Formats: sequence, C-alpha cells, structure tokens
Amino acid sequence: MFPVIDLGPFAIQAPGLILILSLWIGIWTMGKFSDALGTNGEAIENSILMGILVGIVSARIGFLLQNPAVFLENPLSLFSLTPSMMNTSFGLLAGLLSTFIYAQKKHLPLWPTLDTAAPLFIQIFIGWHLANFASGNAYGLPTELPWGVDLWNATRHPVQLYTLILTLCLCIWVMVHTKGLKTSGFLRSGLLFQWLLIGLALITLTTQVFVQEKTLIAGIDLLQTVSFLILLGNFALIYQRRYTSRKRISVFISLGSNAEPTKNLSDAISALKNSYKVRGQSSIVRSQDVTQDTNALLFYNQVIEIETNETYPHLLEGLKSIEYDFGREQGNKQHVPLDLDILTYDEDVFTYNEKRIPHPNLIRYHYIIQPLAEISPYFRHPATGKSIQEIISQTKGDQPNLVKVKR
Amino acid sequence: MKKNTFIGIAVTISLLSLVWIFITPILLPTDSSMVEAAAPHKGFYAPAFTLETIQGETLKLSDYNGSPVLVFLWASWCSVCKRAMPGLQTVYNDYAKDGFELLAVNLTYQDTLSTAETYFVSQGYTYPMLLDRDGSLAQEYRVHALPTSVLIAPNGKITDVVIGSGMNEGFLRARLNDLLNSEGQE
Repeated sequence: MFPVIDLGPFAIQAPGLILILSLWIGIWTMGKFSDALGTNGEAIENSILMGILVGIVSARIGFLLQNPAVFLENPLSLFSLTPSMMNTSFGLLAGLLSTFIYAQKKHLPLWPTLDTAAPLFIQIFIGWHLANFASGNAYGLPTELPWGVDLWNATRHPVQLYTLILTLCLCIWVMVHTKGLKTSGFLRSGLLFQWLLIGLALITLTTQVFVQEKTLIAGIDLLQTVSFLILLGNFALIYQRRYTSRKRISVFISLGSNAEPTKNLSDAISALKNSYKVRGQSSIVRSQDVTQDTNALLFYNQVIEIETNETYPHLLEGLKSIEYDFGREQGNKQHVPLDLDILTYDEDVFTYNEKRIPHPNLIRYHYIIQPLAEISPYFRHPATGKSIQEIISQTKGDQPNLVKVKR
Repeated sequence: MKKNTFIGIAVTISLLSLVWIFITPILLPTDSSMVEAAAPHKGFYAPAFTLETIQGETLKLSDYNGSPVLVFLWASWCSVCKRAMPGLQTVYNDYAKDGFELLAVNLTYQDTLSTAETYFVSQGYTYPMLLDRDGSLAQEYRVHALPTSVLIAPNGKITDVVIGSGMNEGFLRARLNDLLNSEGQE
C-alpha cells in the first residue's frame, strides 16, 4: 500500500495514477463497445473528455470563488498546477453539465449513449475504490474476523476488497450478458445501463455498512439512502420502459423486389396495410443490387414508415410471413419477389438473432437512405443521432445510380 | 424475463435492501472509541511527538493544542519542499497572530544536518525547524514522499494530509480561514 511514483518535480501518488489509468481503460473499452453497438463513439468520448477538462478547471474556479481572499492575495494561484485548491462538487456539477450540453448539441441519443458508457462507469467505480484502497480512505470498521487488515491503528474490515469482489461479479455478468461486449443484450436501449446502476447501487448499499466514516442523516447513512433511491428509481423505470405495453411504435421498413417489382411492391404495401397503419411511403427507386454483378435483375426499392404495438420479434415474424406469401425463397438472390427489412424499431438499438437494429444498411446504401430522407427529412439515426443529411454525405461513393420510378 | 418474475425480483431486492440498511447499524455499531485513536490520516488525532529544534529547544505537538498546526516534513535535497517554503513563510507571517503554528520537521536521518541548517537559516525562515534524527516521526506519520504536509485542527484532529506540492500558499490560507472561522463559531 501507499506507493508513490516520482516523476521529476511531481510525486504522482498511486491513487491519482489508479484513477487516470482506470479512466483510460474505461474510455478504451467504451470505444470498443461503441463500435459493436454502432453508436457515435467519437462524440461520446469527446463529450466525456470535455466534461473532465471543464470539471477540473471549474473545480479550481469554484474553490477560488469560495475563497476570494486567497485569489486576491495571490491571483496566479488560479493557474497553479497542483491537485489541491479544488471544489470537487462544483467541478463535478460543471463537468456533468458540460458533458450533457455537448451531448445535446451532437444529438447523442440518451439511452444508447448511456449503454455505450456502461463499461466506463464500471471502470470508474473500480478505479475509485482501488484508489481509496491505495490511499487508505473510506477505511473499514474494526473487526476480529481473520481476514481483517491492519490500517490506522486497528484491524479493520477490508471494505474496498469486499466492494471489488462484488464488482468483479457484476463485471462477469456484464461480459456474459453482452457476449463479451458485442451487444447490449436487451431489446430496449438503456436497460443494460439501468441494470448496471442497480448492481452498483446494491454493492454500495451492502458494503457501506462496513465503512467507518459515514455521513448520517436521521441515523441513516447518506450513501445508502442515495443507493436505495437509485435502486428503486431504476426498478420503476425498467418496469415502465420494459413491461408496460408500448403504443404506436414507429418502424421504418425497407421494401425491395426484383421480380415484377412495381406490382409486388404495391401489393406488399396493401398487405402491410391489413395489419399495420402505414404512416408514410416513399417513391420507388430503381437500382442494381450492389452485391450482384451487372447482369443481375434490376432491384426496385421503397421505404415506408408503419405504426405498430407489436414487439420486435412479433413484427419480424409478421413480415417474414408476408415475404413468404409473396413467394420469397431464402438464399435465392436472383429471384426476390419481396424483401422486407426492418430499418429501425422505435428509438432502440439492439441485436436480435444476429440482426442489428438499426439496420446496418441504413448508413450504407442510397437506395435506402434517399427514400427514407424523402418521407422523413428530419430523421435522426437512433444509435448515432446523426441527421439523414449527414448520413447521405458520409456514405461512401460507388453507389449504383438511382432512378425514381414513380411516386 | 417475465413481468411477474421481474416484479418479484425487484420487490425482493428492495425489501432486503431496506432490511439490510436498518438491521446492520444495530449489528455493527460504529465504535466511537476507535475514532479517538491517533493515526496519520484525515479524521484521526495527530500522533504525538516530541522533537528538538536546531536551537536545542524541545517542542511537543501537544504544546499547541487549541491552535491550528501545520507539520511540514522536508529535506534539503527535496526541491519541491524548498519551493514551497517561502509561500508557507508568507502564510505564517499573516496567521501566527491567530495562533497558527508551523513546524518544519527536517528528516535529518535522510539529510545532512549542516546543509539543511545552513539553507534554513540563510533563507531567514522564522518558524521552528525540528530535527527527526532517528526517523521515528517519519515512521509514525508513514511518510513515503516529500514534502508531506499534515494540517492539524485546533482540536488535535488531522484535517488534511497532502503529499507533494499541493500544500501551497493558497490552499493553506483557505484551510486556515475555514479552521479559524469554524473555531470561532463553536
């Protein structure tokens, strides 16, 4: 315990180093996870880094506002490169606020973004407790148990170890549930983050009992109270978001056909209208399937927006049966009477049976993006928050020529 | 997960948490006598010491009960220490009248006494320079890097342990203002 690393004039203490290291690992893992989820990793990372920077600067400014005499006596202390003279709560508040504003400006969607940051949150939690372990802060109550550690003139509960062991269990659950950070593991965005928050709150609430220094309010530990409220709030929110039936979910569907396309597409929309309310339908565009050689049949494509109360698996099944009714044979790419792809399902980002929602083609092919832009000019990608115009300008060239067939 | 399973789990976890929050303080009461112990950490009483000054005078930490005290552990080979000391002198000049005491403890067992003393005297520092000749104070305070600054409140409890350059003029002033103000209110 208590190592110090000397770097020239700076004595970098182990706790600080641990925090920086865990932040770095957390941001790195978050980047990987963001790639898997298809969220805007770069913007999320920037918003967090900006929050940290603003937080540190504001912590200093907050301290000097609180102690104006110090500042007047020694104005240069504003720029002093020491980790002291910080108002932590002020810095935290300003940091969070700036992260939030940046995320808003970039139109980052709330729940997918929080899911993406889940690995970072665990890493910061671990880093915080490791740092406390190294500095001897948040030390445990005296104990006579055989695994007690000697610290501050008593044999104490190694409370940081309890926390770390429980957090490790939580990490294992996250890794298993997300299949090694490949998906969020839920059909709704934000549930991963919310379950994680419940886990962290439960760990804090459990281990806080063994911590000696407590802030008591009406005889109850403050951290435990906050953890309990987080627990309750998230249970309620999960119930509301996951278990109450959702009404009028907006779903964008891409239709494609290369066999009797005009007839099949209009028949398909009639068939869809039997089961769903169709909110909008684009013009039909003609292009060549980019995965095929030039001799392949011409593909006709269209995008529609429907409204449904069905869950994603139900909807998928319904669409498959319509495809089947039109004579679609799995694997036959030469003859495709009707192809129905769900592009987006509400605002959610998830993977179901290896299928990613939002559909990866949504940011790939103009034969989907252009018709989508036509019916929904203010569309934003549910995972990245990018506008349809940004998506168009960012798609790679080498797209097949599109011809508008009919309105 | 089915709806009823979820409700079952949520209710069970919430209830168990509530029980845990209310039962454990009874099973594991915070023993206040342990907080009274001395340890070189924030919130504990500062471990007592008796050391000699360069003038041969003997000083005890307990002599300063009722005043804020900064114990500043340094050595003459430590450039960060030497850079901090003029700032500490300025604060000392301003706050000594309020009872503030600054004890600059030289880790003599790791230093050359003549060099340290020459430096200290040549700079004209007016606070006492104490000598930790056998390293017992460094051990008692678990010093593992220099400078280490331990700020002690008038009630004898440690409020800050700062390693490195963090105990600078601005920080010390702000902390002393807090300590002296809260003392006045009590």
